[in-house]
Amino acid sequence: MMRCVRLVAASSVFLILTGTAAAEFRFPMPEFASDYQPPQVHAPMPDLDNSALDVAVLAGALAVAAWLTLKARSRRGLFLLAMFSLIYFGFWRKGCVCAVGSLQNTVAAVADPTFEVPLVVLAFFVLPLAFALFFGRVFCASVCPLGAIQEMVAVRPAHVPKPIEQVLALIPYLYLGLAVLSVATGAGFLICRYDPFVGFFRQGASFNMLVLGGVFLIAGVFIGRPYCRFFCPYGVLLGWMSRFAKWHASITPGECVQCRLCEEACPYGAIHAPSTVGPPVERRQGVRRLAALLLATPLIVGSSAWAGAMTGEMLARLHPTVNLAERFTQEERGVFQDMTLDTEAFRSSKKSVPQLYAEVDEIRRQFRRGSAWLGAFFGIVVSAKLLGLSVVRRRGNYEPDRQACLSCGRCFAYCPVEAEPKASTRSDLPS
Amino acid sequence: MKNHAEPREKARPFIAHPAVGRFVAILATVSGVFCLIVSILLIANYLQIQALDPLNQPELLALRQRLAEAPEADPALVEPIRVMDLLARKAFFTSQAHLHMGGMLLLAGVIAFLIALKLAARCYPRPPAPVGSKDPDRYWNERARTKEILAFAAVVLAVAALIAAYLTPLDIPGPARAEPSAVTEVEAAPAAFPDWEAIQRQWPSFRGPGGYGVAYFDTAPTEWDVATGENIRWRVEVPLVGFNSPVVWDNRLFLTGATESVREVYCFDADSGELLWTRAVPAFPGAPETPPKVSDDTGYAAPTMAVHGERAYAIFGNGDLVSYDFEGELRWGRNLGMPDNHYGHASSLIAFGRHLFIQYDEKRAPRLIAVDAETGEEAWVAQRKKISWASPAYIHTPLGVQVILNSERDVDAYDPESGRLLWTVECLDGEVAPSPAYGGNTVFVANEYAMSTAIRLEAVGAETKPAIAWEYDELLPEVASPVASDRYVYIATSLGDIACLDLETGKTVWEQEFDDGFYSSPVLVGDRLYALDLEGVMHIFGAGAEYKLIGSLPFGEGGFATPAYLDGRLYVRTQKSLLCIEQRDDSST
Repeated sequence: MMRCVRLVAASSVFLILTGTAAAEFRFPMPEFASDYQPPQVHAPMPDLDNSALDVAVLAGALAVAAWLTLKARSRRGLFLLAMFSLIYFGFWRKGCVCAVGSLQNTVAAVADPTFEVPLVVLAFFVLPLAFALFFGRVFCASVCPLGAIQEMVAVRPAHVPKPIEQVLALIPYLYLGLAVLSVATGAGFLICRYDPFVGFFRQGASFNMLVLGGVFLIAGVFIGRPYCRFFCPYGVLLGWMSRFAKWHASITPGECVQCRLCEEACPYGAIHAPSTVGPPVERRQGVRRLAALLLATPLIVGSSAWAGAMTGEMLARLHPTVNLAERFTQEERGVFQDMTLDTEAFRSSKKSVPQLYAEVDEIRRQFRRGSAWLGAFFGIVVSAKLLGLSVVRRRGNYEPDRQACLSCGRCFAYCPVEAEPKASTRSDLPS
Repeated sequence: MKNHAEPREKARPFIAHPAVGRFVAILATVSGVFCLIVSILLIANYLQIQALDPLNQPELLALRQRLAEAPEADPALVEPIRVMDLLARKAFFTSQAHLHMGGMLLLAGVIAFLIALKLAARCYPRPPAPVGSKDPDRYWNERARTKEILAFAAVVLAVAALIAAYLTPLDIPGPARAEPSAVTEVEAAPAAFPDWEAIQRQWPSFRGPGGYGVAYFDTAPTEWDVATGENIRWRVEVPLVGFNSPVVWDNRLFLTGATESVREVYCFDADSGELLWTRAVPAFPGAPETPPKVSDDTGYAAPTMAVHGERAYAIFGNGDLVSYDFEGELRWGRNLGMPDNHYGHASSLIAFGRHLFIQYDEKRAPRLIAVDAETGEEAWVAQRKKISWASPAYIHTPLGVQVILNSERDVDAYDPESGRLLWTVECLDGEVAPSPAYGGNTVFVANEYAMSTAIRLEAVGAETKPAIAWEYDELLPEVASPVASDRYVYIATSLGDIACLDLETGKTVWEQEFDDGFYSSPVLVGDRLYALDLEGVMHIFGAGAEYKLIGSLPFGEGGFATPAYLDGRLYVRTQKSLLCIEQRDDSST
C-alpha cells in the first residue's frame, strides 16, 4: 500500500508542477486602441509596505525556533512553525523578501556603493546569521520558507552516503560564488532568477522554473531537503556561523549513553559518529600526508583559479547583455531567421551595435577576472575540506555536525535519554 | 506547573497504527489521483495555448499583411482584424484564468495529499535499528574514502568546466578595445613600410600587388576537387556576407562582412583556415545612424581590404574606415561621411609607401584620399570630377610610381606622394566598375557601353605623356577588370566571353565563350590565366597566342570575389565559404 502511495506521490508532484506551468507569457499588447483591458499576468513585485511587520515576524519566528530547538526540544513545534513560515513568508508574502536572496542585495551594495539596500532586506540578511551565531541554524529549521516547503514533502527521506554528501556539499559554495560574481558584474540576481520554489508561492513562473522546483520537491520526498543541503548559497554562510554557535541543538538532552539509536536518525547526514579509536595509520605518516596537502594547497588554489579564469567567457552568458549580443550576432549571421522580443527591442532602440559589443567586451573582461576569483575560492573550499578530513579529531559521543545540522529536531525522538527526568537536561542553555 | 523531575511526556513516533494508516493511505491515494487528473488537464490546457499561438493565426496574419500593403487604412480590413485580435486575446486570458483556477485546485489537492502522506508515514513508523556491530575502523575508512572521492570530484568538475568552456566559446565579435574615436594612435614605434619587393611576395590588395591583376608567383594550383577534397587545404564558412576578396600577408588572411547594422573584420590563419579573430567595427563620431541604401549586388562590404606590413585596413558601405594590427587591436578608425553613391561604395583600398589610398567616389564630392598608413591622418586629398565603382591601382613607370583611377569619363594618374594629377585621358563612359590593367608600359581600361582603350605611357623629361595606342569595342566587361601581360590583354565579360587582344596592336588574338559570365576579375599567374565564373567554376588556360584550356574546376558555389594567388596556393571566397587550394607537386610549377 505504502509503495503505491509513494509512486502516486512522486508522479503527482511532478505533474503538479508541470501542470501549474502557468508560465509568464510576454503577450504583445494590442497595436491599436480597443476596449479590452488585458489583465495583469506577470509576477507581482515584492511588497515592502509591511516591512516592519515582516522583520518583527522574522525575529519572533527565529526566537521561537531557537526556544523550540534548544529549550523545548519539540520536533512537532518546529514542524508547526515551519508550516506557519511557509504560509506567511512563502504564500502570503510571495517569497520576497527572503533571507537567501537578501545576500545578493548586500553584495550589490558592497560592489556598488550607490546601490541602496532597504533596511528590511538588511535585517533579513543579518538576523538569521546572528541567530545562527548564537543558536545554530534555527532559521533553516523552521523559518525559511524554502526549507519549510521541502520539510513538508520529506516523507521518507533516505540517507545519502557520506562521500557523495561531501561532494554534493561543494555545490552551494560554487553557487554562492556564482551568485556573488553575477551580482558584482551586474548580471543580475541569480538566486532569485533560479529560485525553484518562488513560482509556487506566487502561482506563476516560467515553465522551466516550475519543472525545476518540481524536481526538487520530488527529490525532497526521498532525499531530505535537497535544495538546502546541496544548493542553498545562504546555507553556506549560516553553516559558517553555526559552526561557532554559542548554544547548539544536541541529540541528547543529557549524557550520551552510546546506544546508537540515533545513528541513522538524521536524514541530512548531520550526525557525527564517535571516533574513540585512532586512525589506522601511524602518526608520523599522517603528519607527513597533512604537510604534503598543506604544501599542495597553493597549487590547488592556483590551478583552480586558472580553470576559473578559463571559464569566464562561458559564464559571461549569465549576463543578459551578453545573451542579447550573442543572439543578435547569430541572427545577423543567419543562424536564426526570427527575432526574439529582446533583439527586436534592441533593433528598434537607439543603441548602436558597436555600443552593444563594447558593453559585452567590458562584461567579458569582468567575468574573466571574477571567474578567476571564483576558481580560487573553490580551490580554497576544496583544500579546506581535504585538510579538515585529514586532521584527526577524537569524539566520544554522537554529536550534530554544527555546520550541516539544520536544527530540525528529527533526532530528538530517537534518544532514550529524552524520556529521562528533565533535571538531567543541559544546564548551559540560556534560560 | 510541572515538576522538573517528572519524566518528559513526549509522543513517541515509533508506534504503528495500522487501522488509521490504511485510512490515510486511501486518502493519500485519492488525493494523489485527483492531483494527477488536475495536472493532466492543466498540462493539456498549457500545451493547447502553446500550440495555438493565437496572435499568429494564418487568417489574422493574412489580414494584417493586406492592411500593411494597402495604401490607406481600409475600415473593411481594420474591423475584422480588431475582432480577431480581441478574440485571440480573450481566448488567451481566459485560458490563463483556467490555469490559475486549476492551480488553486491543485494546491488544495496537494495539501490534502501531503497531510495524508505524512500521517501515513507516521502510522507506519520505522523504529531505530542500528545495523551491524560498531566497527572502530569504519569512521576512518569512510573519511579516507570521502577524501579520495572529494579530490576526484573536484578535478572532474574543473576538467568538465574547462571542456564546457572550450566547447561553448562566446561567438560575439571581439572587442573594439579602444573607445571609438576619430583617430586612435598606436603608441608603439611604427614598423617600416614594406617595399615593392616585399609587396610582390604577398597578396595585399584587390587583384594583388599593385592592384592590376598580376601575381608574382607562377606556382598556382591547376588541379583540385572540392568533392573529394583533393588539394583542398582547408575550407571554412565566412560569418557575414560580403563581396570583397581575400587579401593575404604572410600567414594572415583578411576579409570583411557586413549587414545593415553590423560591420566585421575577420582575420584567418592562412595555413589552417582558423578564424583568429573577428572585430566589430566600433561606432565612430559622425557615422550615419541609418545605413545608406545599397544595391544587392554591392552590399555593405564590397570593398576589398588592404594589408600593408602588419597593418590591415578596411572600409565599409557606410563610410567607416578602420585599421587593425595583426592581433586585432584597433589602430585607428574614423567615419568618412555617408557615401552618396547610388549602388553603394565599392572601391577597394590599396596602400603603397607611407600612404593608404581611398577612392572615395561619392556623387557630391568624388575624391582620392591619401592617409598616413600609420596614423590614419589625412595626407592629401585630390578632388575628382566623376565617380566610378572601380578600384585604384598603382603602377611602376620609368618616372616612378603612379596611382591610376578610372572614373565615368577619364583615366587619371596621380602622384602618390603629393596627390598631383599627373595625366588624364578621357576615354571612358557609362557606369564604370572595371579597374585598370597595366602591362608593357601600357595602361588598359575598358567598360561596357564604352571603348576599350590602350594608353601608352611615354616619359618626356620629368613628365609622363599618355597616348591612346588603340581602341576596341567588341567584347567589353561590365564588372570584371581586364588584365594585361607584356604582350596580351585579356577581357572577361559578364556574358561569359573571354577575349585575348594583342597589346601592341589591339587585334583579337582569340576569343572564347563560356557558359557563365564573369564578375570576378581574371588574374595572370605566370603563363596561365585564371578566371572564376559566376557559377563558381575556375577556368584556367594558357596565356599565349593560342587558346588552350588547362582545366575548368568547380568550387560548388557561386563566385564573385577575385581569388588571391600565392606560392602554390589559391585562396578563394565563394558565396558562403573561404577555401585554400594548395598544390605542391611539379604539375603546378
